[in-house]
Parts: sequence; C-alpha cells; structure tokens
Amino acid sequence: MYDVIVRGGLVVDGSGAPGYLGDVAVQDGKIVAVGQITGDALRFVEAEGRIVAPGFIDPHTHFDVQLLWDGAAKPALEHGITCVVPGNCSLSLAPLRAADRQQVIGMFQQIEEMPPAAFTEAFEWTWEDFAGYRAAIEKSLSINVAPLVGHSVIRLWVMGPHAQERAADAGEISAMQDMLRECLDAGAVGLSTSFVDVDENGRPVPSRFAQFEELDALSAVLGEYGRMLQIVPEFYAIDITIARIDQLAELSLKHNIPTTFSPVFDSTATPDNVARTVARVEEQFSRGARVWPQMQTRPIDISFSLLRPSLFFARLPRWVRILRQPLEQRIAALRDPETVAKMVADTGPDGGERMMGRLVVRGGDGAPVELTGRTLSDIAKDRGEVTALALINLSLEHGLDVALLSANAGHEVTDRIGPMLAHPLVHIGASDGGAHLASFSTYGDTGYLFSEFVRKSGALSLEQAVAKLTAETADIWGLKDRGRLEAGKAADIVIFDAATIGRGEERPAFDMPGNGMRYVRAATGIDTVLVNGQVAYAGGQYSEARAGVVCV
Amino acid sequence: MSAEAIIIGAQIVAGHDGSAELLVNLRHPNGAESPVVLDEATGLKLMKTCGAAHVDELTGQSWRRIVEGL
Ligand SMILES: [Zn+2]
Repeated sequence: MYDVIVRGGLVVDGSGAPGYLGDVAVQDGKIVAVGQITGDALRFVEAEGRIVAPGFIDPHTHFDVQLLWDGAAKPALEHGITCVVPGNCSLSLAPLRAADRQQVIGMFQQIEEMPPAAFTEAFEWTWEDFAGYRAAIEKSLSINVAPLVGHSVIRLWVMGPHAQERAADAGEISAMQDMLRECLDAGAVGLSTSFVDVDENGRPVPSRFAQFEELDALSAVLGEYGRMLQIVPEFYAIDITIARIDQLAELSLKHNIPTTFSPVFDSTATPDNVARTVARVEEQFSRGARVWPQMQTRPIDISFSLLRPSLFFARLPRWVRILRQPLEQRIAALRDPETVAKMVADTGPDGGERMMGRLVVRGGDGAPVELTGRTLSDIAKDRGEVTALALINLSLEHGLDVALLSANAGHEVTDRIGPMLAHPLVHIGASDGGAHLASFSTYGDTGYLFSEFVRKSGALSLEQAVAKLTAETADIWGLKDRGRLEAGKAADIVIFDAATIGRGEERPAFDMPGNGMRYVRAATGIDTVLVNGQVAYAGGQYSEARAGVVCV
Repeated sequence: MSAEAIIIGAQIVAGHDGSAELLVNLRHPNGAESPVVLDEATGLKLMKTCGAAHVDELTGQSWRRIVEGL
C-alpha cells in the first residue's frame, strides 16, 4: 500500500528527457516508483491530461521574514514552487544578536518594503544563531527551504558597528570563518554577498566593506562543504560585472565551489550586455569554473506617481520642472488651468494618448479600487478628457497618490529573452520572491516561463523548461534529494495543465501583518502541489499539511 | 579629445527594481565608450545638477557631475 499514487499523467521527470504517460508512487515522503504502477494507495491523485513534474525550485528569494508566519511562502507554493532559497543578497535573519536586530530590520525593509508590523507583531524573536532561526521556521513549513546565510549579518555578528566601517583584521576574518562553518553545519546551503545593496539610510551594507581576502577566506570554508556563493555584482556597469565574473571564477576554481550572480537582464538600450556576460561565463566554464548567471523570466514593469519626481517624465522639460517642486507648489501648479494646458500640449497633438494611454492604474494606494487594472486611455475616455489631463486630474483627486504602471518596459522582448533563458549555462531564477512588496509582484515567473517561452515562442520545450526549474537547479545548488521524479528522491511534485499554466494579473493584496499591502499574482493551470509526499495545495486551496523541511 | 570622460548621451531605461533609471553613455579620454546606469534618485539629481530639464541636455557634461549627485 502506497501513501499516494499520482495516476495517468504525462511524466516530465526533470531530466529533460521526453515526457511519457505514467504514474508516480509515493511512500513516507519519498518517490518509490515511477512508471506503470499497479497496487493500492491511501490516496490517488488523478493526473490524466496533465503534466506531472518535480516541484519547482526558486533559487533567489527573500522569504526570510515571511516564513516566520507563513510556512507556505504564499503565493509561491500555489505556483508549483516546492523549495525556496531565502537569505540572498548578503541578508539573512541569522546569525543575529538581539542588540543588532533593529539594524538588520532596516536593511530588510530597504529591500523587502515590509511594514514595521511584520517585525514587531507577526512573530517572536526566539533566536540569535542560525540553528535557532532554522528551528523557528521549521515548526510550520509547508514548503521546503534551502537557506543561505548572509555575509552582512555574519560580519555584523563578528565586527559589531565596525562591520559598516572598515576592512576586517585577521582575527575577525577567522571568527567569520568559524561562524560560517557553524551556519553551514546548521543547514545553510551557502553564503550570499552583495557589492551593491544599501541600508535604509543609503549606507553600503556590511558585506561591501569586505576586502578580497575576507571573501576568499569565507569561500575557503564554502569549499570545505562544497557550497554555493551567491553575489549581486555591480550590474549597472557591464565592465565591472565582467570583472566580478572573473573574480567568482577564481574563487570557484580555487575552492571548488559553485557561484551564482544576478540580476542579469536584457535591455534594448544596452543590447550587448547579456551576450558579453554569457560569453565570459562560457570562457570561465571552459576553464572548469562554475559561475552561473541567474536570469529572471518576467519583463520589468516600471511604476511611478506624481507624488514623487520620476524619470518617466525626463523627456518633458515642463513636467520635470513642475514635478520637481515641493508638494504644495506642485499641487498648485497642477491646479492652474494655464499651466496644465501647456503641460498637456507638451505631450503631443493626441493629448498624450500615445505616450501615456497604455499606462495602467495599479491600486493599493490612493486610487479607487474600481480603477485598478484599467488603462489611462480607458479612464480618460470615461472622463471625457484627453489622456494627459486625465492623469493630472485623477492624481489631484487622490492626493497625487495614484501609481501608474508602464508594463513590459525592460527585459521584455520575448524573441531575445527566449534563447537567453534556453542557454545551457543560464540559470533561471532571480524572482526576488518576498521582496519589493510595495513595488511589484515577484510571483508567477515560473508560470510565465511556460506561457511565454514554451507555449507562445517555443524557445524552450516543455521538458527543457521543467528541467531548468528542477533538476538543473538542484544540481547547481547541490540539493541532492530534489529536482527529479525518480525513486529515492523527495516527493516534491507539481501537477499542471500545459495549456494553461501561467501567471495572473498583478493585483494588490492586504495580507501582510498590520494589513500591509503587497502586489501578488495568482497562478493559473496548477492543479496540485505535493511537498514531501503530502498534498500542500490542491483545487485552489492550501491544505493543513506541514511537510516542508529545511533541505540541504 | 577631452581630458576627462564626458557624457555623450542618456536615455531612460527600466530598472530591475521597478523604477525608471537613467542610462548614461560616457566617452573616456582614450576614446572608449561605456554605459553606466544610474538609479532614479541619482539620475534625477544628475539632471538637477546639470540644470537639465530634458535628458538630451546632459550631453557634453563632465562625468564629474554624476559624482556630485551621489
Ligand atoms: Zn535579492
């Protein structure tokens, strides 16, 4: 008697091999057989007409805080993700002394945009060390977690306030090595560091004060365990990024460790950047180094409101001058019919329709709910105004707090992105799940891979796309028990409809502690998600199962 | 040839964190050209420092103006 048999689906096992009709049998949280299975089970999951694949692995998230009250990392799990990697970009919640909490909260708020209530009401700080944090989240996980430990917090633990002031001395470096060992022993799957991030006061995060000797010494410890080094390079300048690739390659070769970096995104303004990045990566791989560029699937949306000056208007000098003024004068100017007439005229004879008509009202702010998701063009027609005037008046009616979205503004040309994602050395990830809560939705990138790059453009086969999100990711990260539908592996399984898997529209949700807002996307086409053999999500509902583990 | 890097063009691009960013192209004294992307706040400061109300007005400015805005 098996615990579960997933019956009659197209088994796409993660290896990249063609799918085949078959069943998957599960016992004690593990896959015990794949193929034509006879025999009985406590539970049958019917998968006819569906794809049966290993659960997806999301290698770049910031769910560190959310996991303390939401063991499913919602909505990640409903998108078919069965394992998340938090602790990226040099930041984790352990090791962290009680006295340093406030400082690290500031850094997290800078990247996650989480409301303060998330840190004061939603959970109890029961830990200081990494093992303690692990115990705190492990109690109620329904998703698996492969946590990184952040270089910035290790540095803070060892150096206190000096962590954000200077290079470390030999004693401090050796203490950091010991602390990293302790974290790896307690279940960390690697170390994250950043050359870019800042805290809430605009100061570089602690990891940025490290000299190469320090990173080298920490990488030596990673080498003892064969574990991952994740970095955020100076992605805004391609030449520096390439220098970082070389540096990562040296660390990878010297210490025999995998390394990964992100973001890597395409822009028509710098059309050669990804090609140059990938060319360098190919050269380093051919030397034996492992330097995985991590690329997101989703296009970049930009958003703005008239509440703050935005570069969105940088081609409209009058708008720039007016929006640059202090709030009171800005509102006065926007109420002056003569000024407004000139502003509207600046946007062209069509009243800004071409320039602004496709902007979408985002919601979650001062904008009325009924306008959320509608285009400015549409709203302007209803109001009987030209587009630019509608933008100004709508903003004025709501204290300027109306956020507008310019969708697909970067990394958006499917015919360019598809082949990049399909490249064997490009690691798909960089979702940033759990971060940027008030800026944009970081969920649904896996669904978008299938809807846009498998179904629409055909840049990847279904099997390739599944392999990228599962076995290849597990191999890159050394997650031995995950990523394949194969006897002996953990029973992390997603059952989905190849014809409809995708991501829903972005919408505001008020489900953070203290009714905090974030942008989310629902999943489409996902039927059932099993985590370690238990149904964690089915028929649009999360179950009570808490089978998630900290996995290594 | 100028003795220091100058801005030879700028355009608005989408930043990875969901804000508009400013892509500035620099020409170095040796003739090499390279792009650098400034985040929204730095980009806006650069425009202000240069007294520019349109991105095209950044052309010809010294790279030092970027640093002034940091
Ligand atoms: Zn990150």
